[in-house]
Amino acid sequence: MKSVWKFFSSVKLAIVLIILLTLASILGTLIPQGRSPAEYAARYGSLASLMQALRLTRLYQSPWYLALLLLFAANTIVCTISRFGPKWRRAFRTVPETDAKAVSSMRVNARLRMSAPLASARDRVAGALEARHYRLDGSVRGEKAVLLARKRRLGWFGSDIVHLGLLVILAGGFTSGLSGRRAELALSEGQTADVPQAAFQVRLDKFETEYYPSGAVKDWKSTVTVLDGGSAVLTRVVEVNEPLTYRGVSFYQQSYGWDWSAARLSLEIRKPGDAAFSRTVSLKVGDRVAVDDPDVTDVAVRSFVPDFVIGEGNRVQSRSDQPNNPAALVEAWKGEERVFSSWIFAKFPDFGQGHEPGGMAEMRGKTKTEAPKVAVVLKDYSAAPYSVLEAAKDPGANLIWLGCLLVSAGFFLAFYWPPREIRVVLEEAQGRVDLAAGGHAAKGREAFQTEFDAIFESVRRPE
Amino acid sequence: MTESSLFTVAFVLYVAALVVYFAGLFARKDRWAGAGLILAVIGFFSQTAALLLRTFSSGHAPFTNMYESLSFLSWAIVLALIVFGRTSHVPRLGPYLMLIVVGLVALASSPLMPKDATPLVPALQSYWLWLHVSVTLLGEAFFAVAFVASLLYLAADTEEKKSRLDALAYRAVAVGFPLFTLGGLIFGMVWAYRAWGRYWAWDPKEVWSLITWFVFALYLHTRIVMGWKGKRSAWIAVAGFLAALFTYFGVNYLLAGLHSYA
Repeated sequence: MKSVWKFFSSVKLAIVLIILLTLASILGTLIPQGRSPAEYAARYGSLASLMQALRLTRLYQSPWYLALLLLFAANTIVCTISRFGPKWRRAFRTVPETDAKAVSSMRVNARLRMSAPLASARDRVAGALEARHYRLDGSVRGEKAVLLARKRRLGWFGSDIVHLGLLVILAGGFTSGLSGRRAELALSEGQTADVPQAAFQVRLDKFETEYYPSGAVKDWKSTVTVLDGGSAVLTRVVEVNEPLTYRGVSFYQQSYGWDWSAARLSLEIRKPGDAAFSRTVSLKVGDRVAVDDPDVTDVAVRSFVPDFVIGEGNRVQSRSDQPNNPAALVEAWKGEERVFSSWIFAKFPDFGQGHEPGGMAEMRGKTKTEAPKVAVVLKDYSAAPYSVLEAAKDPGANLIWLGCLLVSAGFFLAFYWPPREIRVVLEEAQGRVDLAAGGHAAKGREAFQTEFDAIFESVRRPE
Repeated sequence: MTESSLFTVAFVLYVAALVVYFAGLFARKDRWAGAGLILAVIGFFSQTAALLLRTFSSGHAPFTNMYESLSFLSWAIVLALIVFGRTSHVPRLGPYLMLIVVGLVALASSPLMPKDATPLVPALQSYWLWLHVSVTLLGEAFFAVAFVASLLYLAADTEEKKSRLDALAYRAVAVGFPLFTLGGLIFGMVWAYRAWGRYWAWDPKEVWSLITWFVFALYLHTRIVMGWKGKRSAWIAVAGFLAALFTYFGVNYLLAGLHSYA
């Protein structure tokens, strides 16, 4: 047990662990994290399986990285405790055991002789020290008085408070990892959803996207109502950087999109041979509607994609959810005969009308050179927007903030609140008092020397 | 005066300061260093005005793209020079720090950096932008002081110079490390939690700021507990600044992540 304690109380271990954590962390930024096995196989070939076995592909969650963090935590705890006692005594012990000789050997020191009785000499010194905000402890034994003056005593514990803060942060991280929950809620306007692992619901009342004049997105705003026990308890606008928190669950504006599978399209039907002919129909994806014309009796939309691209195996895909290249697969019928079947494009109205050689048109019962009888133009498209909210419950977060406060306070104390200590020994002999004083400052020795000199100058020459 | 002309004036003054500093160094005229510092200070005021004008005209903090943050970092390093320049009694600090400043300003002025103030994407619209970026870059500016002092330490010939440089490097870390911890890590976590709902995502930029933090933690522990001073300390401070520089700069260009603004 003792040897375990000794092992963990070593600062050398801390240094080794910091170096190992640094190297491991660097490695994790060089290997992309959390990708699919196929991606690693393509990237690293035969090394991929070894990397996955060593958990290099989810390095920061790997048992060995977490073990390093736990060792680091144990090391920090033991180091801090084993150094705490002496510091505590140094800051708070009350009975100084010292003599003139020991005091005079301190780095900052002074000696002087005062022509006053011991009690009044002691009071004079005490007054000068208290004027500089020192707290005094002391003892008087016969002809000898000892004063121990200290200030900024908390400064001794700056590094301990930083260490405590780091441990709290680590505890917060483990708490988040073990019991944090998050889920995405995709809601269209008016939709209500149960919040996972919580006994309440949220409803999206309104979802707006604001744009800058340049067209770039300025903000997404989801007006959200929390429903608890069947009744609305609060309504708030959730936007990026402005989450809503209710009963420990926070809702973040995370993403957005459109329900393109139920897009409503506006199609204009034309006849290349009859310039005056134009019919506009409005229909949803999957609908087939009648057109009041002998040449075109019906039109149907089989499919719609917002960002048309030909993917692997010549399959039509959507590159993104953004309407960058909206396209619809449209069919037109004359009774039982299909007179039009093609992908048409909102941004390229002439494309796909059945007469590009090798294009996307698939004309039935016609040769490619024959002029088509019907043309369809994708005039307009719209889809219900939906908002993606992230519902997150993170019980570790408050520990993180507490840890951050401790670390900040500890840094302040460690760097900018250096403790100071002055010891004074007064010995009365033949109606006079010999004073020996010594001082110590953890940092800022020049400033301390100035203060020390000023204190004993004022003792020497009282006003 | 427009923002870009004020920026140009600052650039010219920084170059002039650099020339005067190095001329003084080679001619062994210590008093020229004072002239160099004065030029740098005037340039600093001009750049301050440029940053303020940009803030008023764009309506947001002047560090939302690489050009802006380079300009702010160079400004912060001049600020660090003003803080430490006179009291450190290290005549070579000014010239070499100015070399970094001029390098950063030149990089900011290069055609590679788009200079237009663009409207903020939703994730950046937060007052945490001010707190997170300004405090982090300020911390990194003091790391730059520690870096220069440490390199000068490694090249120094006398014990007196060495002890001054070692003390200067430590004092700069004592300012830079708390600022970097507060701005980079703590404010970064708070903002990430508000914007993304998670305070830590092991994003490469986050990990590299942690790595930088580890290096300076190593600097302090080896120094205070194990009594390493001098050469080994200097090398760690150099490594720490390089890690900070990589966090700031390299991660954006070499490693992909969600923190891809600047």
